[in-house]
Amino acid sequence: MSGVALVVDDSAVNRMLLSRHLASIGISSREADDGAAALSALREGAGDVAVVLLDVMMPGLDGYETLAAIKSDDALRHVPVIMVSGVDELDSVARCIELGAADYLPKPFNPVILAARVRASLADKRLRDVELENAAAQAALLETIERQKDELSRFLSPQVAALVSSPEGQQMLVGHRREATAVFCDLRGFTAFSDSAEPEEVLGLLRDYHKQMGELIVEHGGTLEHFAGDGMMVFFNDPVLQADHVARAVRMAVAMRDRFAILAAKWAKLGFELGFGVGIASGYATLGRIGFEGRYDYGMVGTAVIVAARLSSKAEAGQILLNPRAHAAVEELVVAEDVGALELKGFARPIPTVNIVGLVELSAAAPA
Amino acid sequence: MTDDLAVLDNSILDELRASVGGDEEFVRDLVQTYLDEGPQHMEQIAAAAGSANAEAIVRPAHTLKSSSAALGAARMSAISKEIEFAGREGRVIDLTALADRAQQAWTDTVAALKEAGLAS
Repeated sequence: MSGVALVVDDSAVNRMLLSRHLASIGISSREADDGAAALSALREGAGDVAVVLLDVMMPGLDGYETLAAIKSDDALRHVPVIMVSGVDELDSVARCIELGAADYLPKPFNPVILAARVRASLADKRLRDVELENAAAQAALLETIERQKDELSRFLSPQVAALVSSPEGQQMLVGHRREATAVFCDLRGFTAFSDSAEPEEVLGLLRDYHKQMGELIVEHGGTLEHFAGDGMMVFFNDPVLQADHVARAVRMAVAMRDRFAILAAKWAKLGFELGFGVGIASGYATLGRIGFEGRYDYGMVGTAVIVAARLSSKAEAGQILLNPRAHAAVEELVVAEDVGALELKGFARPIPTVNIVGLVELSAAAPA
Repeated sequence: MTDDLAVLDNSILDELRASVGGDEEFVRDLVQTYLDEGPQHMEQIAAAAGSANAEAIVRPAHTLKSSSAALGAARMSAISKEIEFAGREGRVIDLTALADRAQQAWTDTVAALKEAGLAS
């Protein structure tokens, strides 16, 4: 067994006998001749003492006071205390049990009863220790999970992070088909800019841009699939269902364009000429885990994604280009201009495309 | 009546021996310890009786009661118990006589232990 027994008795004869009996059942012991010595032995030997055999009547701190001190000390209260007491002191034994003693041992000692009581107390303590360890391990595990969720939400979009740690996450990650809206946006003139500007300037500008755009993505409930340099891909209606996913995408794009105008004005003063273009397309797509063991992303795969990417690269500075399906969904909400049928790489037929000039509620408020 | 009890109860001594697997040396060590700490308790009993302090007599009597019982010193244990109870009940008037009887019992116990070959 781990730990020793602490034998507390003012009689050396009793201490010797108890220690001897304990040794015969394989338990080594330490001795204290009064309550004060017992408390200091416990505090010094901290986790070492597995059980205390405590005499009731002792000079100085007696058994009651020692027991009370042990039970009121957070570091010691879990140590089982067996009161050692004469058979003519049963009243005091009852009082000790109320004070938190685990058991009592009658004097004169019967080695068989001694062994049984000590073993029972040690088994109780072991059980309690295991419970405490389990509770501590569980708390540590929960903390780790919380931290991982926290970390995850920094790397993934909040919706995907929540999905990964949700009970139905596994199913969703496997892959599913649904209608969704893909948004691609990037900066015009960024390559030329990053070629001529200092790296610190490039990074500073990107940080600013990501921060501003990131806020708008979160605000509109978009799922950021990835960003690469100045380019970003965001999709809507997954993993969280959004009945108005196209409208959300368009509102976000318009808000981004407005926000970008403020940034661009600031950059222009520094001599950087940058523009912002967006492509939006909706359609059926497969969503879920994409990648390979070791590196997965939560992504969207489908024609709409490719159309959105192509539209984004066709968009001139300030344009937000929509495919017909996306436009049909938000026709009432937007002021759009026809930009004709665009030839997109990889598509046999040209795709009729519109550019979003503004939102109806905003253009209605503006003077004609 | 207490004084009619055996000074040394051999059946208890035998039980003690059996409980330690017949380790005679341990029994002798135990007896020596008893003889070493006994006088101190006897002094405390005498002092408490001399100053009529009933409260102070309880603990040494109690300790001597249990250690004597462990060794089979039956008469010493019984008189110690009488003293402990007299002390608890505050019977100050009985203390001196009881302390004298305890002293006699102690002397007899020491002699008996020596005679039994458990002490030199």
